[in-house]
Amino acid sequence: MPLLTEVILKSLLQTIRVPVVALILLALALLYYSLDPAKYSFFPKCPFYWLTGYKCPGCGSQRVVHHLLNLDLKGAFDANPLLFIAIPYIIGGFLFDYTRLGNRIPRVRKFLYGRTAIIIVFIIVISFWIVRNL
Amino acid sequence: MEYFYTDGTTNYGPFTLEQLREKNITAATKIWYAGLSGWTPANEIQELAGILSSSPPPVNPPPPPQPAPTAEVNFMLNRPPKTWLVESILVTLFCCLPFGIAGIIYASRVESKFYAGDHPGAQQASNEAGKWTKIGFWIGLIVLVLYFLGIMFFAFTDGGNFEKFTPNY
Repeated sequence: MPLLTEVILKSLLQTIRVPVVALILLALALLYYSLDPAKYSFFPKCPFYWLTGYKCPGCGSQRVVHHLLNLDLKGAFDANPLLFIAIPYIIGGFLFDYTRLGNRIPRVRKFLYGRTAIIIVFIIVISFWIVRNL
Repeated sequence: MEYFYTDGTTNYGPFTLEQLREKNITAATKIWYAGLSGWTPANEIQELAGILSSSPPPVNPPPPPQPAPTAEVNFMLNRPPKTWLVESILVTLFCCLPFGIAGIIYASRVESKFYAGDHPGAQQASNEAGKWTKIGFWIGLIVLVLYFLGIMFFAFTDGGNFEKFTPNY
């Protein structure tokens, strides 16, 4: 039998989790909208880049967010082309997962997000990692 | 809550309680929803008491018992459990490469196990994929917030000396 305070604390955490995360994301969006991470030194650096001097597949994602929020598509593509190209695919994946779309057209879901697609995504991420450091 | 019902050969659903009301559910109709261990006659489910139709049951003998469905709705819809693929990609690109890669690898296992007929294995791989993407998401968010809080604290305790944060272009 859990303590009453424990139960209250747990349910409190459950209730505030979504609004708190939403608020944090909103604040971050505002920050990344107004400041360009390429021009201010206080944005966090990629630990992999810092350690090895090589870019990871995610390097440039802060700049992508900044440029996208400012509707600068060219800038976003230049900062991290993989992330830029992946955006429609990611939005599609969320639609298939969280709406009834995946039940309505299961074959399309399987083609775009099935096992073969996952392996291709994996290969693309690794290849991009290598190619962008050549 | 989403309900399914069966006529013994075909499963129908998911339906909301309101939709189920129009389906001529009788006391003997077998119902299932996530949380029930197997198909259950409608008159044994309390929430359904109000929607039972008064039409007589069919004259056919009751169908042979169906194998009990697992607790996962997706299996009934012939759809693998959640692979967390897109979430893993986001974690890979935005935050924590190793967690994201682990998520992608488990995502492919979800699919291959599901289509090999190993439904519990697929569910397990799905849980693992979810675990790694969630760890990545929370670590990323918490580290980022702590980082910016630290920067702000540093700036304010330094007598409002923001000079070192001015644009470095």
